[in-house]
Amino acid sequence: MWTTNLHQHNDFDILTTELHHGKAQCSNPLPIVLEANKVMEELNRTLRTPCNNVKERRSRRRYSRAMRSCVEPTYLGYTPGHQTVLRIPNKRTPKTREVTNQVDPAQVALLVKKQWHLSYVTPLYQFRHTMVKTYSKELSAFIASEKQHGLAIEIGRELGLKANISVVNGLAEMERDAETVFIQILSKPMFAVKDDVPNVVWSGLLTCVNGDLDYLQSLPPEFVSLPLLCTSGSESLTVLVKSWFKKTFDCCFGPLGINATNLQWLAALWTVCHPTRNIQYLKLSWELPTQPPMDVTYRVDPECAWKLWDSVRQENTTEDCISIEEVTNFIRGLQTNFFRHFSLDLAAGSLRTVSTALGSAHHSGKIQIASPDFIITALQLLTECALLKMPI
Amino acid sequence: MLSMDDSTKFILKRLIRRIPLQMLQKTLSKWTYLREDLDSLDFKQSKYIFTECLLSLFEEKGTTVKRITELEMIYVIENPNQGMWHGFQLSDAEEDAPTVDLIQFKEQFKAHLIELNSHVSIKIKKHTDEAIWIRIAWGSNFTNPNHLKPTYAVHHLQTPYVFVNGLSLKHKPLLFQALVLATRYGSMKDAHLSGRKLTAIRDLLMRQYQQMFPTKHPRPLQEKNPVPTNPKIEKEQAVNTENRMQVACEAFGDGKLPELQKAVYQLETKFRDDSNKTLKSREEPFRGVVEFSSTNLLESLRHAVSSGIAATPVSALLPAITQKRRNRFIITDK
Repeated sequence: MWTTNLHQHNDFDILTTELHHGKAQCSNPLPIVLEANKVMEELNRTLRTPCNNVKERRSRRRYSRAMRSCVEPTYLGYTPGHQTVLRIPNKRTPKTREVTNQVDPAQVALLVKKQWHLSYVTPLYQFRHTMVKTYSKELSAFIASEKQHGLAIEIGRELGLKANISVVNGLAEMERDAETVFIQILSKPMFAVKDDVPNVVWSGLLTCVNGDLDYLQSLPPEFVSLPLLCTSGSESLTVLVKSWFKKTFDCCFGPLGINATNLQWLAALWTVCHPTRNIQYLKLSWELPTQPPMDVTYRVDPECAWKLWDSVRQENTTEDCISIEEVTNFIRGLQTNFFRHFSLDLAAGSLRTVSTALGSAHHSGKIQIASPDFIITALQLLTECALLKMPI
Repeated sequence: MLSMDDSTKFILKRLIRRIPLQMLQKTLSKWTYLREDLDSLDFKQSKYIFTECLLSLFEEKGTTVKRITELEMIYVIENPNQGMWHGFQLSDAEEDAPTVDLIQFKEQFKAHLIELNSHVSIKIKKHTDEAIWIRIAWGSNFTNPNHLKPTYAVHHLQTPYVFVNGLSLKHKPLLFQALVLATRYGSMKDAHLSGRKLTAIRDLLMRQYQQMFPTKHPRPLQEKNPVPTNPKIEKEQAVNTENRMQVACEAFGDGKLPELQKAVYQLETKFRDDSNKTLKSREEPFRGVVEFSSTNLLESLRHAVSSGIAATPVSALLPAITQKRRNRFIITDK
């Protein structure tokens, strides 16, 4: 019989308490305690100027190499700089083939077309990919016992909830990236017939795609960093799963929104895919601070969006890199064309959603990826956002 | 004892569920059919029990579908701001068009529509504000009229306007033909104006709201003034604000504005950004659809102009909503 007291190793308990002690002082379980303030300052400074060092880095083909070459005073200081160069899907070898080559297509199918809510996660202490079977049982037991404490859980289904944690091999891009962990909570009807397929009531994804190499290297070996959590399902189950992870792996969760800059990135990255995969439309929505508030939605013809993108591409860029300047010029072009028609400055409002046939993203931290082509690129961008958002 | 069939019961249950509890008493009391039984009903009960009581009462009385549609019309006429209303305009009036009266219209409309499709259920009711309300449930050779998805049309006699709710493309030509013939007009076309509030659509299309016409000699705008350096800055700014306010009111109207939810512009124009030479020289248009939405769009736009979010002079495309009385446009280069 499983109980909620899951700590099997004695040293685990001791370490956890120590870590909590450390947190109470400076909210930092990681070994960069002394640098923390300095790093935060640096981070803030670089956050304000996201275009730093574009010129030097644009020429680099590989994302990872670009990172390694930047030896700066603090190894976290340049993190925002990553967003100045992003790898885009190679036009000649579409990502579809690549993703399904690396990852089981059945597993990819579980990831697409769902509306995911995003959170960031601090590194997991003593998480082992080989123990997912054990974790599944522990999480199931935890959910069952929490239910008995009277915590909110959907009525009528509580008897048959079963957690299933598995590893999705192949989503990780770099050697240092931890393999993605997929969580499903299945509900079995009370009077199930033998062959009844259990109903999936909740899914979650803990992932790290192309995470900051220096950051990952700086982690002590007992920590596993899977900074991005995507959840889909009832909020009460999300709370339970998060609290189990918190107590088992001593990590913290926080909401992860997608800011205007990253929405613009997504708009550009989707538009880039158009020649290989029809995006059907590019739709951007702004909210303007009028009274009452007004939403402006601009739905651009895919061919025209692509032509605009093509015109803002800089000549000296390498094939598979796009820069933040190009992204900004692209969006500014759309806004200027809009202004010339309506004399309304969209920059006075805030960008709320971006969508194409390949997916949609909302500033509150909701994303839907409709096509497997785009999974790696989107998860890479979101991994970056999660790492940036994480309290250090 | 008469009894209701299951579909009638279902229609009644659906209707009662639609009407909020606090409005039930008021709605039922307007229904002459129930006048004598009204005292026997207890409105303090829960809605579920109340519905059951009402069902058994109707069962006793042998209420027919036609009776229930009466109740539905009473409710819809009182609460018209539901669903999507579309404005239509009649044109090419014949000589005798202004003489059409209610009885004539009723007879003509029913006769013409039944001639086009014999499987329809039509109900016509005149409201106090001179509007004629028409409810149509459509059927076919193989199906009975569907009372769950009726079409509503509202027409003001002696005006060329019709407002329609819940009309499918299939039935559009039939309704149009019957309306054109009954009103003695030549044709009917889409006014490209739609919204959730019937009153707003009606006020805008029939120009029944407070408008402000541009003054003959508009005052020059204060836009290009140099930055004020004198101590009267505040006064200057007040003048500025006043000017903006006036421009906003001239563009969208004064006082309370009709509540529109949306305006849609289909852009078929060339790309307009001087800094982008490549696209500017392109011959083909830069296609896109722009949609503005708000709980009260005209109010939002007026605020955008008066607060400075929108630059002055105001783009001609936005005031076109009130000037052309429509909220769907296709924009092309001249």
